[in-house]
Amino acid sequence: MTVALAVPDVLVARAQAGDEAALEALFRAFETPVYNLARRMLRNAEDAEDVLQETFLEVVKSIRHYRGEGYLWGWIRRIAATKALMRIRRDHVRATEPLGEEPGKTGMHVGANIDLERAFEQLTDTSRAVVWLHDVEGYTHEEIGELMGKSVSFSKSQLARAHARLRRELGGSEGAHA
Amino acid sequence: MTMHCTMDDLLALQAGEASVWARRHVEDCAACRAELDGLYQRVAQLKALPALRPPRDRWSIVRDAARVERVHRRRTWGAWGLAAAAAVAGVLLVPWFGQNGALHAELSQAKQQSATLEDQLGRYDVHGRVLSGRTAARVAELEDRIAVIDGDLARKGGAKAQARDADLIELWQQRVDLMRQLVNVRVTRARYVGL
Repeated sequence: MTVALAVPDVLVARAQAGDEAALEALFRAFETPVYNLARRMLRNAEDAEDVLQETFLEVVKSIRHYRGEGYLWGWIRRIAATKALMRIRRDHVRATEPLGEEPGKTGMHVGANIDLERAFEQLTDTSRAVVWLHDVEGYTHEEIGELMGKSVSFSKSQLARAHARLRRELGGSEGAHA
Repeated sequence: MTMHCTMDDLLALQAGEASVWARRHVEDCAACRAELDGLYQRVAQLKALPALRPPRDRWSIVRDAARVERVHRRRTWGAWGLAAAAAVAGVLLVPWFGQNGALHAELSQAKQQSATLEDQLGRYDVHGRVLSGRTAARVAELEDRIAVIDGDLARKGGAKAQARDADLIELWQQRVDLMRQLVNVRVTRARYVGL
């Protein structure tokens, strides 16, 4: 999705001074992109809502220190992605599922006509996060590796495996490309 | 057996980082070109997925947290001022109370004015009003300058008495001046939210 990134400097200045109306304006401007990012990365809608809330609590707390380096959406998005990845890590620890393993949905046959959204949902949390951050949000493998506390090659291999799986589930022919 | 591009090769081609072999191969191999096209299409479709919107409004929770944060900041700031005032008062009142009455009176007056303005600001409802961008920036600037003076006051409290007094009066007077400006900006230039 494309996010309308332009936020007037004056609005940021007011938010930095603690003006509640300005903070709400920022929340309204970015709540959907933040929620969408979190929801695409996370399997659970409630988790995504929590990430939305945690992200803006952090924004409220830290916006005074935002000095305008880069654009505001980039700053907020990084906070949101970090919160979502923390949640993925926490859930992996709880489920003792190793990072990168295929999701525990064995036996679920995905037909050739399944749409992309459903196929995307079938990816592991980690793969989904990598695909979304790289392909949609435009993060580099270096940035994803840094966010995840993993290597660049980890990010690259997750992306390759995810696309191979998407290709299979969307009905591509099984061959040397998988 | 014909070698084809792997998914790693295709992703590298998409990123413009592919090997010479992969670049040449994809020019000659229709199957791999089709795979590369498929990859581009998948990425384009992912980007075109509709935005998912939050089912519930979480603003009220964030707003309440913002209010708590604001109160916390003001308390921290106020604590700095009180600490500075306490340090100064403790040092000034003990050794030479009667020696320099005029100086002391001037200092007491500045501190009293500062406390009155602080109290006036404390009674003011910050959250019920909105500020223009310029006003908000001015408020932030004034608060920052007052915080710097409070830090200076705390440090001067430990200096030698003779060198300290004139500086202290000047700092307190600067603080009073800034507090007046802050009250002026907060009370007269802000307006109530008309929702």
